[in-house]
Amino acid sequence: MAIAARTPKEAAQFNALLNKKYRYFDYKWDLVFWVTALPIVAAAADITKLLFAGDWDFWTDWKDRQWWMTITPFAMIIIPSAIQYIQWLAWKFPTGFTYTAVGLWLVSWLGRWLQWDVFAQYPLNFVWPATIVPAGILVDWILLKTRSFVITSVIGGMVFSMAFWVANYVTLAPFLQPVEWMGSIVTLADVQGVSYLRSATPEYLRMIEHGTLRSFLEETALVAMLFGGTVAVAGYWVGQGIARVLAIWPIMKFMKKV
Amino acid sequence: MATRPAVALEERLLAKARYGPTDWMGGWKTCVWGSLAIVALTALHWWYTSRHAWTAGIDASSPEFTKYFRSLVWFELVVIGAGTGLWWGWLVRTGRQLLNVKVTADEEVRRIAVFWGLVAMTSLTLYVMASFWPNQDGSWHQTAIRDTALTPAHIPMFYFWFPAGITMTIGTYLYGRYRLPKVYGSDKGFPWSFAFLIAASVTEMMQVAFNEWAHSLWILEEIFAAPFHWPFVFYGWLSAGIFALWAETIIRLLGIEKEVEEAPAASAAH
Repeated sequence: MAIAARTPKEAAQFNALLNKKYRYFDYKWDLVFWVTALPIVAAAADITKLLFAGDWDFWTDWKDRQWWMTITPFAMIIIPSAIQYIQWLAWKFPTGFTYTAVGLWLVSWLGRWLQWDVFAQYPLNFVWPATIVPAGILVDWILLKTRSFVITSVIGGMVFSMAFWVANYVTLAPFLQPVEWMGSIVTLADVQGVSYLRSATPEYLRMIEHGTLRSFLEETALVAMLFGGTVAVAGYWVGQGIARVLAIWPIMKFMKKV
Repeated sequence: MATRPAVALEERLLAKARYGPTDWMGGWKTCVWGSLAIVALTALHWWYTSRHAWTAGIDASSPEFTKYFRSLVWFELVVIGAGTGLWWGWLVRTGRQLLNVKVTADEEVRRIAVFWGLVAMTSLTLYVMASFWPNQDGSWHQTAIRDTALTPAHIPMFYFWFPAGITMTIGTYLYGRYRLPKVYGSDKGFPWSFAFLIAASVTEMMQVAFNEWAHSLWILEEIFAAPFHWPFVFYGWLSAGIFALWAETIIRLLGIEKEVEEAPAASAAH
């Protein structure tokens, strides 16, 4: 047997446990749990992203170097952190971030495709959602190596923010190319923002492109990335609180009758 | 003379010969068919709004809007209202009788599988209400001008799927209370797991009123990250209680395994 049994007695116990015959337990319970938990996990992650950072994630021209990089990692780390706690507690699986990220990827793309592209005719290259799959894998790896939620929150929060930028920059970079548009130098994303109708959305220039954002050029991205990491650490503990108080604490707890 | 639920139970025990409690078409049937039904209903709803939203849904004062969308609101409210009442009523009426019927380990395991099927349907329903339709709400509001609280995106989301969340969470509790008394029987008190999960669905519904009030009188622009949208998120987090449901029933399942292991003769005699 390959698992780390330290004594022959322990090895025999492991062996008995692995080969134990159950009458009712089979693979279906695991399969049903992992498949049917995904919709609510993904929905929780999506609604948290949509309503904390939705505007910044909806449009390419809102994916800026100030608020998108700061707000979105905070909004997107909360639910993966909660699921990481639950899966680590239940199975010692360092998979919660990746599981949530994959679920979020599925529901985000389903939403953008059916509700934004097919329903409202926005092209997907304007309304594509950010991904946290690479960032999620890294944070799960950090928990695997450190086996500490505290260290994972500090290192993982910073890594999450940086990996968020790097992973999504691959998709975003082509839309940041400069073009001349009606006598001004703007980005291709700006041109998309002007070209497609958004009758009830505050224009992004008024919302975000102010101050010294553009004059500091790429330094702004680094500053925002670090601050995004800082708030992501806080977001990680919000997720831990959700898991510990709302998911784990209630197990077998009942209100007393009055 | 045997009561009707007792007869139904006996019929199910006979059917057991064909499908065991953990066969896909046995205990897991609710999970499979129930989930497919929710997907089909969502697809039908989406097709209807996609078909008519941009031709009949733009002007809330138009006759087309009344024909295609106000009528849909009434249809949805009647269907969800009647369906919920009938289902909850059936669960309570039959459940009270079933409480007095002794069940075998096989039957209790089948019920736990059905319970997990209802939890799966709840999970899917909460996804449809909290992710699928809000995406359409986003694309609609950030494109069209809001002239009513009954927009083509709101009508399926707020007036069918939000109530459906309440239908599923409370219905699942009623199933557990009467069919799994060793886990959720009334003698134990009200479970905190369900308290959180039901609170999530109920407060989300109530938050709709605040949302519409705030859009009418506070921030008229459709900023998705607006502060008065945040309660949707906070209330949604309460649905984490669903994980406790899986844990509580798995603990009971382990108990059944132990009981069967320790008393094989007694179990066979049932």
